[in-house]
Amino acid sequence: MTNSDKTGGLNRRSVLKGAAATAAIAGTNTIGAPMIWAQNIKDITLRQFGTGVSNLNDVATKVKEDLGFTLEMTALDSDAVTQRAATQPDSFDIADIEYWICKKVWPTGNLQAMDTSKIANYDKIVGIFRDGKLTPESEIAQGTAPHTVGFVDGPGGREFVDNESGWMTLIPTIYNADTLGIRPDLIGRPIESWTELLNPEFKGKASILDISSIGIMDMAMVCEAMGEIQYGDKGNMTRDEIDATFAIFTEAKKAGQFRAFWKTFDESVNLMASGEVVIQSMWSPAITAVKSRGIPCVYQPLKEGYRSWGGGIGLSKNLSGLELDAAYEYINWYLSGWVGGYLMRQGYYSAVPETSKAFMSENEWGYWFEGKPATGDITSPTGQVMDTAGAVRDGGSFYDRMGAVACWNAVMDENQYMVRKWNEFIAA
Amino acid sequence: MQNLLKSRHIAGWLLASPLAVVLALFLVLPIVMIVIVSFWGATEFSIYPAFQFDNYEFLFGSPVTYSVFLNTFKYAAITWVFTLVIGFTVAYFLAFHVHSLTWQVALFLLCTIPFWTSNIIRMISWIPFLGRNGLANSTLISWGVIDEPLEWLLFSDFSVILTFVHLYTLFMVVPIFNTMMRIDKSLIEAAYDNGATGFQTLTNVIIPLTKPGIMIGSIFVVTLVMGDFITVRFMSGSQSANVGRLISNDIALLQYPSAAATAVVLLVTVLIVIAVLLRFVDIRKEL
Amino acid sequence: MSTPPDLELVSLTKRYGSTVAVDAINHHFHAGVYACLLGPSGCGKSSTLRMIAGHESVSDGSVVLGGADVSHLPPAKRGTAMMFQNYALFPHLSVTDNVAFSLKMKGVDTATRRKRALEMLELVDMTAQAERLPAQLSGGQQQRVALARALITQPQVLLLDEPLSALDPFLRIRMRSELKKLQRELGITFVHVTHGQDEALALADEIVVMNNAVIEQAGPAREVFNAPRTDFVARFMGGHNVVALPQGRVAIRSDRIGLTEPAQGRLDGRIVTIEYQGTAVTLNLRATGDQDIAALIPEEEFFANPLTEGATVGLTWDDAAMHPLRA
Repeated sequence: MTNSDKTGGLNRRSVLKGAAATAAIAGTNTIGAPMIWAQNIKDITLRQFGTGVSNLNDVATKVKEDLGFTLEMTALDSDAVTQRAATQPDSFDIADIEYWICKKVWPTGNLQAMDTSKIANYDKIVGIFRDGKLTPESEIAQGTAPHTVGFVDGPGGREFVDNESGWMTLIPTIYNADTLGIRPDLIGRPIESWTELLNPEFKGKASILDISSIGIMDMAMVCEAMGEIQYGDKGNMTRDEIDATFAIFTEAKKAGQFRAFWKTFDESVNLMASGEVVIQSMWSPAITAVKSRGIPCVYQPLKEGYRSWGGGIGLSKNLSGLELDAAYEYINWYLSGWVGGYLMRQGYYSAVPETSKAFMSENEWGYWFEGKPATGDITSPTGQVMDTAGAVRDGGSFYDRMGAVACWNAVMDENQYMVRKWNEFIAA
Repeated sequence: MQNLLKSRHIAGWLLASPLAVVLALFLVLPIVMIVIVSFWGATEFSIYPAFQFDNYEFLFGSPVTYSVFLNTFKYAAITWVFTLVIGFTVAYFLAFHVHSLTWQVALFLLCTIPFWTSNIIRMISWIPFLGRNGLANSTLISWGVIDEPLEWLLFSDFSVILTFVHLYTLFMVVPIFNTMMRIDKSLIEAAYDNGATGFQTLTNVIIPLTKPGIMIGSIFVVTLVMGDFITVRFMSGSQSANVGRLISNDIALLQYPSAAATAVVLLVTVLIVIAVLLRFVDIRKEL
Repeated sequence: MSTPPDLELVSLTKRYGSTVAVDAINHHFHAGVYACLLGPSGCGKSSTLRMIAGHESVSDGSVVLGGADVSHLPPAKRGTAMMFQNYALFPHLSVTDNVAFSLKMKGVDTATRRKRALEMLELVDMTAQAERLPAQLSGGQQQRVALARALITQPQVLLLDEPLSALDPFLRIRMRSELKKLQRELGITFVHVTHGQDEALALADEIVVMNNAVIEQAGPAREVFNAPRTDFVARFMGGHNVVALPQGRVAIRSDRIGLTEPAQGRLDGRIVTIEYQGTAVTLNLRATGDQDIAALIPEEEFFANPLTEGATVGLTWDDAAMHPLRA
């Protein structure tokens, strides 16, 4: 091909322009016959950014190996992810963001919708991300449920639609059900409800996370469990509900209930591992990190259910031609199982669990997905033993856990008001 | 002659221009931008040009603003007192009690050793030390000073101020030491010769002559503390707020105009504080 | 003030580690004398002065003032006051406040100390500059302020550390006469450290020549100049020839050497250079035994019988002009 001759010594952008021109001349040819551009693909670099959760260098390495192109990963915290997705569309090709961030960012027009007909495993994607139902009987949880911001009406659509339109905003990659983490050794009794977070028994030993949009949900779970507030929709509170929620937590804060609030993964691990805190909002891999230090830590299932979240990858509106094809290739690869297996071994779930099964041992699949007792050592991706034979995953199987989601991480209509109240709460 | 004068004029302008350009580009322009943006409006995910006072109205209308500014002043004032006392003492010892230059340099470098690591690391390393089961508490318990771990050692105003003092005392030591080193040693002898006691020498000679250093150090410390957000977040366990955190929260939530408005108010406040400090000493004269 | 006391140095010693800066010197300064400690740099004169002042601890021996050992008293309790080489005026205080400093330290009220300070400033003729800061004064004015500040403590002994070295030559000459005049008026002891023998001769009633940590010679200015007792003193004071004669080394003032025919004098010498000096002519001669000798001949005498370079002459002097030197 003439094009491959041109690429040597040229920068990426000019290559892409050239490639786009070629693609235009070739018409639909490129899509139908991926092998035609296989020689060029090694010159492609896709820039992905997202939270540290799924921005893993192992994934980039594997992409180079399996697909031949380069994936540049940038890991940021969720605030920075939101900022970049909203304000710097030229700085990335692929955005790995959460669904509630998508709700905020999509209207900026920085992302383009994806054609589901090009996604090989689309039909196998878990129902949560398509019609919102895990099983046909499931009830849809409150908050920004992924399917509500998962589809738009066309390639350039700005409005979310409530059906599987064939144009997806984010391809789901990773999700989980969050709950409270506890130190069973320091608490010494069963914990069953979200109300325990404000139990005076744990005065000065409790914590929640200092990310307003997630923290407010944990607060709401607690207030609702206490029977103090009945929310219309915890994911979209009214001002009165927000005020009432903060009133309860401000009182607890002033009474010294909280040891600290945490903002980063490491902070939550250190608070728990050091015993400063015995009960707090926590993320699944943080539990893993505490346990791998040999400190008992449980991701406690609670009767009121889980607060869930999900992430997906979206494509920059600037992607086109060869680069866009590479991105689709990447998405298809992402759903084909290797990454899913990798993430599920960390305690997350993959959007297409059945493809991941092939990349996990029977013991791992049984422990992580089916909630069966382990038949051998369960090791973290870095090789540390986290559980031994006979142990059962906190919360049980995929269907037990994801079936008990009470609320999804959300961004509310009254978000700005809530944030101001959050600042007040911190300063109180 | 006329030509010569003219060309001299031009040469002067040319010589001054690189600095002027750098300052304009990296100091004046960003500040102007911040001021402009502070009048803009914002939606959930974007900002739009406007000329409205909403951001300021909200800022001055909210009781949070006042309590947070008050808290910021409190941190600045307490930190200032401690860094001044410690910084002055250290500088005094180095300048007047260590006589050999080699030792002065050696001890001075010793003071800077903690600064070879990053601010964040120095800050975070306090956390395990002050924690409930940390070294401080376990030592005090083993000495029998206390029976129960002290909760207020960590994630409290105490830990915030302790860390500030630890982080910023050197900023007080350096300028004070520098001015002290420039005090003619014979002035101390002259005071002594005139019957001054050690303390009188300190109050009548050394402190007045060290004022410029104290002022420079104070400006460093006060501006650093007032502009900080990360120390307060880490060391209070996110439980206290200062203006910096207010701004960083706004930025995190893409509320740039509101962040800009807070930044403008903070900038003005800090400038007023510096202006007040400068009323006490004319630094330019003393330098 | 009753009769002013004498100042005595008894085996006064200063050691810095293994170096001896002042080696067991003894000297008696009579009350009301203007004394100069004279010597090259590093001879120990400044250390001696600072020990008297109390700014340097005494390693051994003692400083006795008016019969009392003051070696271990703080400076302000000794009855001495020091004027520093660079004057050490407090840059942040006005002239008046500088002068009144010691009174302020004693707790004297503002009005009284201002009055006293102004009296002192009058003494040194500085009342016009009373409200200025030191940086706004000339070198000479600064020195007067420093003097006033030292004198307001009513010292019995005023110690001056190279007080004129920071001044230009013209001012130096003027100030030294003022110092002398002031000392006469006040009647107190001045101990003045200098490395300039002309300054010492011009000012001092008594000169104490120091070298290598010891006193080489002490005595009235005329005596030290006219009758040096060591090689060092003879050379340092200047105007002397050190001549080796069969009976030993002697010092002879250049202006006491006369000329005569070759072989007629005590020594023969060949003229190497001739320098016209205005009132006199200096002949630099190479004498027997390769000794360099300078002869200062009055102008008329020389030109009445001019000589040329290279000529050989006889050198002659009185016995009284010969001062035998200690080995």
